[in-house]
Amino acid sequence: MKLNEIRKRIDTIDLEVLALVQERMGLAMRSRKFKDGIRDPEREEAVFDRARRLNLNLVEPNFAEGMLRKVIEESRRLQGENRQLVAFQGEHGAYSEVAARRLIPNGAYVPCMEFIDVFKGVEEGYFDLGVVPVENSLEGAVTQVNTLLTNTELTVIGEAKEPVRHCLLATDGKEYREIRVVYSHPQALAQCRDFLSRNSLEPRPFYDTAGAARMLTRERPRASAAIASALSAQLYGLDIIKEGIEDAASNSTRFLVLAKQPSEVTTGDKCSIIFVTAHQSGSLYNVLNLFAEAGLNLTRIASMPLRTDPNNYSFFLDFEGSDRDPTVSTVLEQVHQRTISYRFLGCYPADKQSPTAP
Amino acid sequence: MKSLKLASLDVKPRTTIDVDGHTIGAELTVIAGPCSVESERQTVETAIAVKDAGATMLRGGAFKPRTSPYSFQGLGLEGLRILATAKAETGLPIVTEVIDPRDVSWVAEYADILQIGTRNMQNFSLLKEVGKCQRPVLLKRGMFSTLEEWLNCAEYILSEGNPNVILCERGIRTFETYTRNTLDLSAIPAVKELSHLPIIVDPTHSTGRLSLIAPMSLAAVASAADGLIIEVHNNPAQAMCDADQALTPEQFALLMSRITPLKQFLDQQIEVPDETE
Repeated sequence: MKLNEIRKRIDTIDLEVLALVQERMGLAMRSRKFKDGIRDPEREEAVFDRARRLNLNLVEPNFAEGMLRKVIEESRRLQGENRQLVAFQGEHGAYSEVAARRLIPNGAYVPCMEFIDVFKGVEEGYFDLGVVPVENSLEGAVTQVNTLLTNTELTVIGEAKEPVRHCLLATDGKEYREIRVVYSHPQALAQCRDFLSRNSLEPRPFYDTAGAARMLTRERPRASAAIASALSAQLYGLDIIKEGIEDAASNSTRFLVLAKQPSEVTTGDKCSIIFVTAHQSGSLYNVLNLFAEAGLNLTRIASMPLRTDPNNYSFFLDFEGSDRDPTVSTVLEQVHQRTISYRFLGCYPADKQSPTAP
Repeated sequence: MKSLKLASLDVKPRTTIDVDGHTIGAELTVIAGPCSVESERQTVETAIAVKDAGATMLRGGAFKPRTSPYSFQGLGLEGLRILATAKAETGLPIVTEVIDPRDVSWVAEYADILQIGTRNMQNFSLLKEVGKCQRPVLLKRGMFSTLEEWLNCAEYILSEGNPNVILCERGIRTFETYTRNTLDLSAIPAVKELSHLPIIVDPTHSTGRLSLIAPMSLAAVASAADGLIIEVHNNPAQAMCDADQALTPEQFALLMSRITPLKQFLDQQIEVPDETE
């Protein structure tokens, strides 16, 4: 290896070490939910002891212990801050995390494998909040999330309409000419189809956008790039070759913030409900008519086949108004009576920041 | 010129090219900006200044073909991103040079017009590559080239399917040493006799002398050139290349204040009937 190659490897390792420390901090913060205090001397001693016994000749026992002490010290400081644990699906850098960071600026963001892990974790109290996508402006409803919403006891306490700005990322921006293959989630690849074909780039499906970015940093495959968020570039130390490479200018995703309890601080001006009507003519009309007569503006209506009864549908309804408003609560009471199943998902502040195209 | 199947005036009425609402060939196109993109601040400041003075497009090099391999070679992709920022700030379309066939699609992602420099006029693989892309091409005249050679290079681009070629007279080598090159103003009416393609003039590189830029710009406009491409730097003394031939924004504004009334005066004159009509 020549000096510049050695330095490249060192740079990669530095990024990985920091990414792993970040992961460790996240886990430590999650551990708070299981213990009473922050400090656990017995556990700390076990950690140091194991480090000392490792026989790494270049990382001497004293140095190993010192390094871990520093990490644990910082971890205790973070745990003392009482940041909210915000769960999202995907790897760090996912668009869900982009939305979570904007809505809950000082949280600790926890990646989850599946949407159900987000729901379960919040339900069982391991996380304080969950941020999940419900709808994309180009692709429509996120069915998995909508199914989970019909069965959850969680409350919606917020929403975010997040513009999706895809970026082409590479480990070394100066080598853009060599790029032949682009990894990303199939949906992101589909949204950048024109861009890819204009530049003769071959799309390669990957399980996740941010996951593709992370893979680039770790494995450094030749002639490869990824499509992911600008946040992913920051998190994985990648160069942005081009920002906003999606073919359609307006691409946004709507996210919901889930919690166990309704928020006591914020007052909402938008509500979400889910209901199922009886299989009779006019039953859906009768429900919608209640909103029309009360002058309540509907912002979304979507339907999904019922898992338990494929001939019937559950309806998702969002409307402008607060559940504290007597008109709204009267309408909701009547909706409850005219439906065979009804759930109030929550009342929350509408996201006024309209997704801006550049 | 029998070899010109597509570029010849005999086959097509005069070409006009729409770029972000500005029509090259129908309106006077004034492209101004620094020789090279050096920093975001330098580029954006210059862009705002030239726009205020009346420029219609921004020029700026991200990839620089330099005489010496040790000279500043340009910021590359970073330079393109800076140009995009300058466009977002001012709305001016971007004209920038491409020197490597492998860069064509990437430069086309950021630029509105791709420039082929004088040294690359006969780089046929590069001409074919820009002929395949969707952006208009500004084809500078080779410093040793005849009109026929130049128009044949335009033919290369047209024959690949790109109909939007703008010719640019930038001076040719003669035995004169006082000026950097000799500006061939006669090329403007000559090209207009031979081809339907629009032609603009570069008074900066052709003269290489600050004092000659304004008179030659006015002469080019008077000779019915479709536009000008002029180097302007917000701080010429600090410029990383061509420092002694870039106008300050003030000098450029003064020049524009003379060009505009001249152009208006010319437009009021009875037009010489076009031979195709």
